[in-house]
Amino acid sequence: MKSRKIFMAGAIALAMLLSACSTSSKDASSDETMAYPTENLTLNISWWGEQEAPGAGKWLDETIALYQKAHPNVTIKQVLQTTEGLIPAFEAAAAAKSGPDIQYFWGGIYTQQPGWDGHIVPISDYIKADELSHYINGKVEAGFQGKIWTAPWYVNASFPLLVRKDILTANGLTVPTNWNELMKICDVLSAKKITTIAGGVKDGWFGGWIYSMLGAQSIASQKDVINAVVGTTKFTDPEHAGWWTKLVESRDRKCWNDDINSVELYQAQQKFVDGKAAMTITAGPDAPNFVKKAGGDSNVVIMAMPAWSDGPNAGKLGTSSQTLGVTSWSKYPQVAADFIKFGHTTERLNAWYAATGSLPADDRFDMTQVTNPATRAFFEATLKGIPYLENFIPAQLDAEAVFKNVQLVLKGTMNAKEAAADMQAQMERLRKTDRKVVENFTAWSK
Amino acid sequence: MKLSQRSHLQARSGKFIRYCLLTFMASAALVPLYLMLAGAFKTQEQFLSSPFGIPLKLNFGGFKAAWTDQFPSWFLNSFLIVTGAVVLTEILAAFAAWGFARYSFKGRETILGIAISLMVIPPVVLLLPLFQFGVRLGMISTLKLIVIIYVGLMLPFSIYMLTNYFRTIPVSILESANVDGASSMRVFRSIVVPISGAPLATLAVVNLLWAWNELLLALVFLQDNEKKTLMVGITGFQSRYSLSIPTIMAGMVLATLPLLVAYLFAQRFFVAGLTAGSVKGE
Amino acid sequence: MSSLKIAGVANRRQQSIYSPKEALYWIAPAAVVILFIFGYSLVSLFSQSFKYDGKWVLFENFSLVLTDPNFHTSMQHNLLLLLNVPLLVILAFVFAIILFETKRGMSFYRATVFLPYVLPIPVIAVVFGQIYQLHGALNVFLHSVGLGNFAQDWLGDPKIALGTMSSVIIWKEMGFGVVLLLAHIISLSSEVYEAAKIDGAGFFRTHWSITRPQIKNTIIFFALIEAITMVSWVFNYVYVMSNGLGGPGNATMVAELYIYRSAFQNKAPELAAAASVLLFMATLIFIVVFFRIQRKSISSMYKA
Repeated sequence: MKSRKIFMAGAIALAMLLSACSTSSKDASSDETMAYPTENLTLNISWWGEQEAPGAGKWLDETIALYQKAHPNVTIKQVLQTTEGLIPAFEAAAAAKSGPDIQYFWGGIYTQQPGWDGHIVPISDYIKADELSHYINGKVEAGFQGKIWTAPWYVNASFPLLVRKDILTANGLTVPTNWNELMKICDVLSAKKITTIAGGVKDGWFGGWIYSMLGAQSIASQKDVINAVVGTTKFTDPEHAGWWTKLVESRDRKCWNDDINSVELYQAQQKFVDGKAAMTITAGPDAPNFVKKAGGDSNVVIMAMPAWSDGPNAGKLGTSSQTLGVTSWSKYPQVAADFIKFGHTTERLNAWYAATGSLPADDRFDMTQVTNPATRAFFEATLKGIPYLENFIPAQLDAEAVFKNVQLVLKGTMNAKEAAADMQAQMERLRKTDRKVVENFTAWSK
Repeated sequence: MKLSQRSHLQARSGKFIRYCLLTFMASAALVPLYLMLAGAFKTQEQFLSSPFGIPLKLNFGGFKAAWTDQFPSWFLNSFLIVTGAVVLTEILAAFAAWGFARYSFKGRETILGIAISLMVIPPVVLLLPLFQFGVRLGMISTLKLIVIIYVGLMLPFSIYMLTNYFRTIPVSILESANVDGASSMRVFRSIVVPISGAPLATLAVVNLLWAWNELLLALVFLQDNEKKTLMVGITGFQSRYSLSIPTIMAGMVLATLPLLVAYLFAQRFFVAGLTAGSVKGE
Repeated sequence: MSSLKIAGVANRRQQSIYSPKEALYWIAPAAVVILFIFGYSLVSLFSQSFKYDGKWVLFENFSLVLTDPNFHTSMQHNLLLLLNVPLLVILAFVFAIILFETKRGMSFYRATVFLPYVLPIPVIAVVFGQIYQLHGALNVFLHSVGLGNFAQDWLGDPKIALGTMSSVIIWKEMGFGVVLLLAHIISLSSEVYEAAKIDGAGFFRTHWSITRPQIKNTIIFFALIEAITMVSWVFNYVYVMSNGLGGPGNATMVAELYIYRSAFQNKAPELAAAASVLLFMATLIFIVVFFRIQRKSISSMYKA
């Protein structure tokens, strides 16, 4: 018994010593002085993103080719995952502790959870802090107790409302500047059987988008949401439940396409391109493409969801970064991190913009090459964006309470109060079933 | 005279109602398939403006898009898995059925009954433990594991069906060999298998159909993009091409074609096979 | 019947020729696979359902599942789906008789009605998913024939989504019943029908009091198979038609999807295990019935 205690004390001291050494030396040593392997090695990348940022695959292939040229002993293979397959495929790989070296993650909870589960190593162990500090949203979304789990890759404005001026003008309307104006537009257009905002919730995701766009307006920061998750506040409190009434209002004022419940989001967005809907909502990286398809900058305005409250976040775009992380089973984490860092060199940042027309997640990106003033204004608004709410609640709550209740509210079988009460009830349940959720989220918020 | 006239009339109106019902039934069965087939040859605009219209100008864009996607590799995976699983099941089930049909031992009927009852267990119940097993051995996304699972799930019915058949083989046929002192294996190989062509083919058809159409297990056990089967592929296909219904429909036609052709040419086996589980036991 | 008799005789005779131990060699390979797939899985499943993170927690997982409103909804939906069974039986019986009475074109109609049963469920679900959209083919058709009032948001409205799903299941499964029952009806002796005709029995009376009792066992078999289907084989329909969510809301959530989502989406394998055990228990009822019917038919072979 005694000897065990002594051993423990020794071990703790040793660990403290080691960690002290590593914190003082790691920043300096990790990517420069740590010996870069000379043997032949292969890295696997499992990613997603071509779906919302067309051209990303082309950029990745180029980046791989350039990196392999600079490091002839390294071979890199990439696999593009499907939307529904991204997370299950990673979970299977994680359970087997083998699979990709570099894995793609959405921001917030999607990068935290794999970190909490021990599936990834903090990228901040392998990339220096002064380099990482340039990566947009890194701290807010991927930060955990001083570490940063994953490296932001590109920015996702979450989510822009695209507005067609031609349809508004033809009906004697102008671009809305607040929520009430938007509702009036809905009244006018629905009377003429024109859809105001095209959306689709059959596949669920869009419900989470609406939550983020409307729900963020009544809170001060993502910490408020985390508080509701851990139970210090409730999802039925006015600051968390207010957005449901706005959703109900938008339904009652007939803002949405009548088939919003029976189509997927991408199908609905096509109505906007075809000129059958005045507005739609898209993924940030894809917004410039939609602008082009619907008549260019002279016709389409990119904006944040009109403000319904006077909170600090109302009327602002959300911002989130899609990220790349290094898996805990990777044999060459420093090479993986080095490759990710290579993607943030000036030449690669510019190439990203050229290939996808969207914003790379690096504040060193030279904004002057964005010649289109509307796009540039959009990028700048994104940089000043507010947290993307959906990324700060457990994924299960998002799917089971947000996705599903948005479906029911839009169909008219659930009211705002019931929706909020159900979300709160599900959160309370989740604290019982996921016996680590409170502990993890509490640690995250600190 | 009057009476027979009336019954004649009744028969005629009965016939009329019958054919009305049959026509309704046949169209209910065929119209969705027509929509799929016609939709595959239309353009998106044509489909939206008249889903029921006959495509006058055939548009192969949907087929091209579907085929240049991952269809060839999905086909190959499905083919390999189904072939492996069906052949293995056939062999194992025939052996076991022969054991049950020709040997008498204590508890035989109970063992057979339990084995057969296993076909009632929902596969989803077995999903989690089998997945964890696969993960531990690093066998997720390997064809081996899913083939074994398919074999396991197909065996109960297969054994049941073949046991029933083997029991009907007249003893006189086997007798001559027995007198010669031939081994059980030889009797099985040179007498039983050759005369069991029809039931073996029927069983193969049933299992082929099941394995080809299976989604749940394939979804969970084949995570790797390059290992996906046709059914898993087309499930994601729907979302990927939600903007082009003709492409979706073309994909569905391609996925159905092998079965449809098989059905048209081997309808007898399909019907026989799928009704063979009936209590009557043929 | 006569062939069955011979089989029984043959069996008794073989006993003396082959040693029972030899049977083991024949059965063992299949037994190993079955024991692994079913035996290993069930044992592992049961033990997991009492654990959390490797530690024993007794019935905690079960109580969490049993108090989950989502689980209740799922089980209720499976029970509601069971209502499809009587409907299927009636439809299959009616059409089997109609087909039996039809001389011209019988094989064509039979092939047609059976066709849906052969098609892959994911394909069917995708095609019907398109047809049932608010602006899909079905509503276009209803509007064009002046029945626009009947147009619905078939899969988008939580009040009717499960019913819509049922219609697809019935569409596929009915052909199986028709062919199954028809095969039995055709094999019945024609003498009874001749006698009925002479007695002046009408169409309905003939089939109600002559056909129905004779094919009773086949009807029960079909009903049983379909009941099993409704409880444990509807995942494919739901997964494809609701984009894996069981929506709108929880309107099409079923036990299989609940287990799948718990295990692979919500990362709660212990809850998935407990729910699986509960589903397994529920299907045990079917297993007992099934086992009895099998035994009856097997033992009747020897008695015959």
